[in-house]
Amino acid sequence: MRFVSFRLATSVLATTALLLIAAAPSQAQTRAETLRYVTGASVNTLDPNIPGSTRESFALSMSTYDRLVAFGRKQLNGKWVFDLDTITGELAESYDVSPDGLKITFRLRKDAKFQDGSPVTAEDVKWSLDRCVTAPILGKAQLLTGSLTSADQFKVIDPLTIEVTLPKPDKLALPNLATVYPMIINSKVAKEHATADDPWATAWLKEHTAGSGAYAVESFKPGEQVIIKRNEAWNRGSPGKPAFFKRVIVQSVPEPATRANLVERGDADLVLDLQASDVQSLEAKGKLKVISTPQYNAVTYVSMNNQIPPFDNVNVRRAIASALPYEDMFKAALFGRGAPLFGATWPDGKPLNGIYPFQQPVKLDLDKAREYLKAAGLPEGFSTTFSFNVGQAATAEPMAALVKESLGKIGIKVDIQKLPDAQMSTQINEKKLPFFTEGIVAWLPSTDYFYRNFYTGSQRWNYSSINNPDLAAIAQQARFEPDKAKYEEAGRRLNAMHVDLMPQIMLWQPNQDAVMAPSVEGYTYEFHRQVDYRDVSRK
Amino acid sequence: MVTTGLGATLVRAGRRLLSSLPALFGVLVFTFLLMRVLPGDPAVFFASGPNAGKEEIEQIRKQMGLDKSVPEQLVFYLSDIGHGNLGRSMMTGQPVLKDLRERLPASLELTFTALLIALIAAVPLGVLAALRPGSIIDHGVRLFCALGVCVPTFVSGLLLIYVFYYLFGLAPDPTGRIDVFTSLPPQRTGFLSIDFLLAGDFEGWWAACRQLILPAVSMALFVIAPLARITRASMLVSLGSDFVRTARSVGLSWRKVVVTYALRNAILPVITIAGIVFSTMLGANVLVEKVFSWPGVASYALDALLSSDYAPVQGFVLLMASLFVLVNLVVDICYGIADPRVSIE
Repeated sequence: MRFVSFRLATSVLATTALLLIAAAPSQAQTRAETLRYVTGASVNTLDPNIPGSTRESFALSMSTYDRLVAFGRKQLNGKWVFDLDTITGELAESYDVSPDGLKITFRLRKDAKFQDGSPVTAEDVKWSLDRCVTAPILGKAQLLTGSLTSADQFKVIDPLTIEVTLPKPDKLALPNLATVYPMIINSKVAKEHATADDPWATAWLKEHTAGSGAYAVESFKPGEQVIIKRNEAWNRGSPGKPAFFKRVIVQSVPEPATRANLVERGDADLVLDLQASDVQSLEAKGKLKVISTPQYNAVTYVSMNNQIPPFDNVNVRRAIASALPYEDMFKAALFGRGAPLFGATWPDGKPLNGIYPFQQPVKLDLDKAREYLKAAGLPEGFSTTFSFNVGQAATAEPMAALVKESLGKIGIKVDIQKLPDAQMSTQINEKKLPFFTEGIVAWLPSTDYFYRNFYTGSQRWNYSSINNPDLAAIAQQARFEPDKAKYEEAGRRLNAMHVDLMPQIMLWQPNQDAVMAPSVEGYTYEFHRQVDYRDVSRK
Repeated sequence: MVTTGLGATLVRAGRRLLSSLPALFGVLVFTFLLMRVLPGDPAVFFASGPNAGKEEIEQIRKQMGLDKSVPEQLVFYLSDIGHGNLGRSMMTGQPVLKDLRERLPASLELTFTALLIALIAAVPLGVLAALRPGSIIDHGVRLFCALGVCVPTFVSGLLLIYVFYYLFGLAPDPTGRIDVFTSLPPQRTGFLSIDFLLAGDFEGWWAACRQLILPAVSMALFVIAPLARITRASMLVSLGSDFVRTARSVGLSWRKVVVTYALRNAILPVITIAGIVFSTMLGANVLVEKVFSWPGVASYALDALLSSDYAPVQGFVLLMASLFVLVNLVVDICYGIADPRVSIE
């Protein structure tokens, strides 16, 4: 008995060894045509409209679906970034805006086909846009910012023409149609999977795609990886050509050190979310291409709740703004990788321009901070908490320690609170945190949009809970201001108010550090802050 | 009435299973309440699109059933469980049952391999140390065990990756169970090393094993210590006992004395500890899973916990509790095999 099992074991071992020798390299020839992108996050739905969808899902949908229009790209300090002011056709061959700005007419490409081969028609466009403004999905709140609120606004003129009507000439209507949500879905396929409870097929589209995009989904394992393969018929990038990579693998690798190893060893081609320290050492080694773009549509703040004492006192907020060790924080948190939003000089005390976010005229000046505290009637200081979420601990933790140390010098005792992400969002939403750090991002970064969304109302994104009717009125008015000079003037006034009221302190715009194999080209910083797989190619 | 050995074991197992049901129910209710007591509203967390407002939050709350009162939610939850439905994860967008079913084999495969490596290393080490107490070998084993326990698994994991993958390129990239370019075998057991063998794909099997080695070793290093220490202690007791003295005095071979008599008697506590180690490993290997991007249940539960995603956490705890019950059963049965006296009631 023992003898038999021994013989069996040896023969299995021997066979295995033989097979191993025989079956060596058989893959690898398609490696150059494959893009392996690793990320700490993951794709959780194939339809970015589903509440709770991740940024990786947004990026994936840019490749699996087309929109009517797309953003162009421009160079900013030698790096490619998306260009909000250039809107090109994607499924639309061309578009016209009527002179009064109330009608936009799109003519669709005649050669555009869905991945199942059926042509893209104006009916599909209407169904998709109707879905975006009617179904209980994320697109609704986004399109609202471009005055797109009702299905009546989308009218089919003929099979290749669709007309969008606006109640007011809204600058953001067209850019909104280039964002993630208003993707064009194959309505015939989607309708087949709609049910009475779910007329917009949200459940089905979460797990399946029915688009005309540059890539089709080959396999989708939520939380692990997605593999997409090229749609050979797609030609919306460069004319007559599909996207470059035949296959793209989007793989979740939670450990940042492992991601750094993978890209350094050449096993991964592209990664965005490395730790700042790793990026620095990889850049110093010089073997890989590192493209660092300040996230010019994002801002990191130190926020104070303007409704909670003592932060309801403007002088307390000014004192804090004069007591933060900006340079040290910038170095400790980001290793200096980003665009600082502090330390400006305003020669005549007026904003340099009307663009938000802007560099504020604030710097570390403890004597001034003490004066402000005295003016606030708190010369002895006070106690408060400073919160940040676990997900941002890598940058926020060193920063919080510096805030605590520096404020301690002017008598403000700070307790550092590290909160789980869900708890932090809840407390921010309920406006319970007095003093914390958080970030924001705007897909359509225009001055009025920032002020309307992040400085007015009682919603979560108004971190400082500022409630200033003047500021709200100027921002609201600027939204529909067609005159460029007047818009600029409104922006200057808002920026001046920001520095005067100091509702919260803008710290910096962190860099998006894209680290890639030297052979990867064409990387562009996109509005959704992820890679658009259609942009990249290999030399 | 005389029952046979096997029958008695089965009866015992059945009784154990029945008596664990109330405990499982308690775990169920307790986790449910605990998740709801924790601060942090999942709806707010998941409504984090750049424009998500109150309406989206309400929408998600309704979708997750959080708009109802807690007792109502509990009743719905229990009836769902009765129908085999563990709810849906917001994080992955999948039913929790499906997620767990896909991820559990990954965790089990890793844990089994790690436990096997640990046992293969720990039992001989413990026996060696017990045979020569106070010698260099004994101290060497003690040092090795101390080191294994001191170094947290993610540190040893990262070190192993650094040396074997980054420096020497011997190991494959530490990204999950299988190289991304290898196609998967048809799923039968969920254990890749078995599925590849069943499919007759030895290249794939080797690829899967290579992926498995580093994470399994870094987990094993951590649990070798308790296993080796307990083996040593119980070997010392059994080597000093009367029956070993008798066996030695009648001139039995060294091998027979140590392996057949001493070790067989010493193995009971090792089995107990191995059972406990196994259950803790399953839940506690989250760090290893994170470092090696292993798509297991522990990292899944941790991600869910951080984002207050109730359903996966509850599902995970229920799964772990059930596994614990099962492992205890298996340990019981192993007892019976190792020591026939145990099964006679």
